[in-house]
Amino acid sequence: MSGSATTSLTLGYYPGCSQTGTAAEYDRSSRACCQALGVRLVDVPDWTCCGSTPAHTVDHVLAGALAARNLLQAERIGHDRVATPCPSCLAALRTASQHLAQDVQPDSNAPEDMAPSFRAEVERLLDRPAPLRASAVSVLQVLAEDVGIAAIASAVKKPLTGLRVAPYYGCLLNRPPGLMAFDDPENPTALDRVLTACGATVVDFPFKTECCGAAFGMPRLDIMQRLSARILDMADTCGADVIVVACPLCQMNLDLRRGQVNDHSRRQGGREFSLPAPYFTQLLGLALGLAEADLGLDKLVLDLRPVLEAARAREQKRALEVAAVAAAKTAAKAAAKADGTSGQKPGKPGSEPGPKEDAPCA
Amino acid sequence: MRIGVMVCHCGNNIAATVDCEAVALAAREFPDVVFATDHMYACSDPGQKTIEQTIRDLKLDGVVVASCSPRMHEVTFRRAVERAGLNRYMFEMANIREHVAWISLDRKRNTEKATDLVRMAVEKLRYDRPLTAKSFEVHKRVLIIGAGVAGIQAALDCAEGGLDVVLVERRQSIGGIMSKLDKTFPTIDCSVCVLGPKMVDVGQHPRITLHTLSEVEELSGYVGNFEVKIRKKSPFVDWTKCTGCGACLEKCPSKKVPDRHNEGICTTTAITIPFPQAIPKRAAIDPTVCLRFTKGKCGVCQKVCPANAVDYDMQDEVLTEKVGAVITATGLDLFDHTKCGEYGGGRYPDVITSLQYERMLSASGPTAGHIKRPSDGAEPKTVVFIACVGSRDRSVDRPYCSTFCCMYTAKQAILTRDHIPDAKAYVFYMDIRACGKGYEEFIRRAQEEYDVQYIRGRVAQVYPTSGPTGGPSGGQLMVRGADTLLGAQVEIAADLVVLAVGAEAAHGAPELAEKLRISCDAYGFFLESHPKLRPVETNTVGIFLAGACQAPKDIPASVAQASAAAGKVLALLSKDKLESDPQIAQVQTIRCIGCGKCERTCPFGAIRMRELRDGSKRAEVVETVCQGCGICSVTCPVRAIQLAHFTDSQLLAEVNALCRTWDETTES
Amino acid sequence: MASDSSANASPDRTPELRAKIAAELEGVDFVLGYGRGFDPLHATPVTVRSEKDLGRLIFDPTCVQNLATSLYGLRGKRLGVVVKGCDSRSVIQLLQERLWERENLVIFGLPCEGVIDLAKLRASMDVASVKAASFIGSPRNGLLRLTLPEGGREVVIEKESAGLLADKCLRCQYPNPLVSDHVIGPETLPQGAQDTYADLAALEKLSTQERFDFWKRQMGRCIRCYACRNACPLCVCKHVCLADSREPHWLSAEATLQEKWLFQVMHALHLAGRCTECGECQRSCPMGIPILLLKRMMNRELKELFNYQAGVSLEAIPPLHTFLMEEDRIKDRGLLW
Repeated sequence: MSGSATTSLTLGYYPGCSQTGTAAEYDRSSRACCQALGVRLVDVPDWTCCGSTPAHTVDHVLAGALAARNLLQAERIGHDRVATPCPSCLAALRTASQHLAQDVQPDSNAPEDMAPSFRAEVERLLDRPAPLRASAVSVLQVLAEDVGIAAIASAVKKPLTGLRVAPYYGCLLNRPPGLMAFDDPENPTALDRVLTACGATVVDFPFKTECCGAAFGMPRLDIMQRLSARILDMADTCGADVIVVACPLCQMNLDLRRGQVNDHSRRQGGREFSLPAPYFTQLLGLALGLAEADLGLDKLVLDLRPVLEAARAREQKRALEVAAVAAAKTAAKAAAKADGTSGQKPGKPGSEPGPKEDAPCA
Repeated sequence: MRIGVMVCHCGNNIAATVDCEAVALAAREFPDVVFATDHMYACSDPGQKTIEQTIRDLKLDGVVVASCSPRMHEVTFRRAVERAGLNRYMFEMANIREHVAWISLDRKRNTEKATDLVRMAVEKLRYDRPLTAKSFEVHKRVLIIGAGVAGIQAALDCAEGGLDVVLVERRQSIGGIMSKLDKTFPTIDCSVCVLGPKMVDVGQHPRITLHTLSEVEELSGYVGNFEVKIRKKSPFVDWTKCTGCGACLEKCPSKKVPDRHNEGICTTTAITIPFPQAIPKRAAIDPTVCLRFTKGKCGVCQKVCPANAVDYDMQDEVLTEKVGAVITATGLDLFDHTKCGEYGGGRYPDVITSLQYERMLSASGPTAGHIKRPSDGAEPKTVVFIACVGSRDRSVDRPYCSTFCCMYTAKQAILTRDHIPDAKAYVFYMDIRACGKGYEEFIRRAQEEYDVQYIRGRVAQVYPTSGPTGGPSGGQLMVRGADTLLGAQVEIAADLVVLAVGAEAAHGAPELAEKLRISCDAYGFFLESHPKLRPVETNTVGIFLAGACQAPKDIPASVAQASAAAGKVLALLSKDKLESDPQIAQVQTIRCIGCGKCERTCPFGAIRMRELRDGSKRAEVVETVCQGCGICSVTCPVRAIQLAHFTDSQLLAEVNALCRTWDETTES
Repeated sequence: MASDSSANASPDRTPELRAKIAAELEGVDFVLGYGRGFDPLHATPVTVRSEKDLGRLIFDPTCVQNLATSLYGLRGKRLGVVVKGCDSRSVIQLLQERLWERENLVIFGLPCEGVIDLAKLRASMDVASVKAASFIGSPRNGLLRLTLPEGGREVVIEKESAGLLADKCLRCQYPNPLVSDHVIGPETLPQGAQDTYADLAALEKLSTQERFDFWKRQMGRCIRCYACRNACPLCVCKHVCLADSREPHWLSAEATLQEKWLFQVMHALHLAGRCTECGECQRSCPMGIPILLLKRMMNRELKELFNYQAGVSLEAIPPLHTFLMEEDRIKDRGLLW
């Protein structure tokens, strides 16, 4: 628990628009966790829209320039690595730096007149040299790789013992693999490891990267409802107390729109789901012993606190039971010893399984 | 020097776009050319006769033929000039077919280029010198690496042909992957029943020396005279005493060892005989799991062995064998299915590989031929097969087709319906590749007679439908994928998911290639000398390929190639002496400065340093080992190494012939 | 060890050099070092065989020669040799290529802050008339004081020595000997700029025809004196050089452009992956042909393809002296042919 958590690492920080509105608690808890773990975040000065979905569906160069502007701002204050909590911002920023690095033609279907290079086009739009090195990294990656699981584990003050969590990564955080270059695209484990370090019990959740319906919440509510319901159903089936999220849009669908999702589920003859959907940084912050106000717990639609309380109570009960069993065993042992008969016998069953725990099959 | 030139029409192949007469006419003006003519087919009997006759009549010392690629007919013409009394290396070929006639229709410029090529050939010939091959003795023995079905077939063919065979297998028993299969497509005949007798033949053949649990450590020498070091790993059982009775297996207390022969779907003991038909049927201890070796206690097998064969102090043995040729038949390994996270292999017990399923189907397997789900032992009613797992998939760096998965998947689907008549079988496939005798019909049978449901599309995800951590006990797996023919998503609740894993080069194949000094491709499959015309040979003379070590192959193809390789070896070693190619590196001792760079770069180990009487060193070429690649020649800083028949002077003569107009074009 | 003072004060290290050499004279046939040449701005190689020769030794920024050049011709002897940082790379290359034996060589290494290029001085004055010369301070920021005759009198002028530094010193990354038995004087920090191959880039900006014309002009001036070859420490063919060989007959004796050019191309190719850019070939060229460009071109390729630099490590195996099935940066093999 000693100074190991102070990594003393400084990164640029790009919040992105969601973090100033619907996902203010993600922003607040990300900053709080990073600070507690010794990661200094320096806000990208005068940051603007990353380009996100609306831009790149219309114009790749414009989207690239929007993202590149923010990277340039970071480079100007001397930060080549920019952390961002939002996977969508991450994708936009990383795409821009990848395209700038490869200097790809912006559009392979461009008119014959030899489309100028991506970098040249971006520089024309920015009216200044495009960034050279800067790229983005997710807050999760910073925590899992730069800070490290061991450092997190040693910084945990209030372990989430007994809390069963379903880690939900969303579709973007690790994909496309060539762009994100982080974790396994089909079965990611970084979030699992962070949560395990927090003392939580991570359930084997098969829908880690399933689609939540994303922005369909607006044009086609039914699709979003169906997809989000599936995810919640699976988390519930797996016995999770909470579903832990790493994306503002996923979180909105799973938390803010829970009423809509439950409506749909009920209409289909399914269940209603009550499990909360906090950001992973909020749980991490709790484990690190940070104040609830710093983590924005009050911003969640589905309150996290009763679930935590229940888990804590369950855990206490279990601990008492374990203690009782242990006490009974010691008593029995003492009694046996007092009997004067063979003292080894009770010991033997305990030691025997040792050599048998050979390689598991399959 | 007196040179004769013959320009070939090759029917219309060349004459259509090259004025062969004009080329011959021009050639008459070249230095030392005393005769030049054109001919309809130079390679035909009359063509060759004309060459021979002209050599005799005009007392020629060298001949140039302008025709096709030397790979086609160089040997033919060399024989012809030899028949007329010339040295076979006093012959040059100008390729005016592939290099000229076939690549352009411009008759005028083609004729000019053909003339230039003939001029080059004439100039080179003026610097050619007669070369003579040396002959050397050969060992009439062959080393075969790998004893799967290809190695077994090659060994039997060679042994029947009268060669002594050294057969090396790294596992405890011969048989390879085929010994693990239940039935084979498209005939559904029992795999081990077909293979078993051949395995027994190998074990009993007087000409075959079998080394199992053995690996090739080093190969030195050259064709006809290879020397191979074989490491025989210690089985800790004296196989001259062991009778294969199996008493030790029954008593061994480590019973939780994953059974490799059964692909890990059940356990075995630390001392094992891998399967009942194993050859040799002898027990061996795996020291990585045996309690005697890991914990220093136990010793039960030694006590119970009636033949007193167990010896815990037995050491590895390194043998040296001399052979004249090598056949590699190291086969393939299967793609690691846990690399595809979306299918959940390795996470969900009821997602298994096709070879695990094969062991389940096998009557001699751990379930005695009953299909049981690993999670709860229940009989599955819905089995989903996913094809192309680790094949045709660039995202896992396996872009190639493994060729046999479509077929074995159809076979397994049929067998599923045979074993459990009320079960449903689904196959998710990309394309069905059934190019083989009776293969397409077999697929049809699966679809039509056995009602196997084929769904064209990839699977996106496999996930358990119920149950928390630890997998669905009694639950099903949901297989979600696309049906691209319907343009719809499909979800199938499966009791068992079988992944049709593709082929990979055998583990350690690139390392073996390095030891044998043969090439392998980016995936570790060994490279043949020519994909069409020399599919069994490697670029190292005397080393041949059999079976799936070259590329993924099914049983018939492996066996066919094994017999082909055996045929090549028998032909090679049918002679008592071999002739070495004289087109090899030669050291000009007077120029050599003894720096040894050639020795370091030679990929064949064909150069060694010789000490002169004054203590200084000079390079020396081992003529029989040198393959004439020329790397030493270009490495030598003082040009002290020249490649015979391709010396600097010979090549310069060609370049000068071609660049004779340089002055005119640049200095004007 | 006599560690007097800061790096750029450049105290006279000759006494220490003489003492170190004196101590080793016993065990060697002779020591190759620098002496004063025919005028105050020229140094010349001298052989030190006994104590009485020690007085001839000097070391200052006029010591431009790479004494490693003489080594190959003296094989079989046991020698001492005085080297600067750049020269030591030639020695490494000779040792690495087994063209010399380490045990027969005593290396006296001199950390070096740069040598002057007389061609640069010649551009502004008549070098031959200089009566006396001395260096004040480090050659990187000090002065060169010259005594010149002027109408029967003598005048003293001073020039900033930084402007006279040889090109190779401007991009020098290895001022300290990379191999040595004795280091004379304190080690110095690399002060050269990173090599950006700006000279090559400038040439490559020209069109193919312009570049062709450039080389035609330059190569046409060659007089085939072979000074470049003879000055090269790694041109070890000497008596069997292809330029003089009849079998194989690469070059004729004709003084045509193509023969001259081919010789220079061959020279460059033979040095691919070996050349340490000591610059002796170009320095010794009486016609001032920029032949080092060809060698630098090869070195840049080597760096890009194999990430290799010659003469930096004794243990390295030069990429062109080895055989690998697969090179990291050359993708020429795959499933298909």
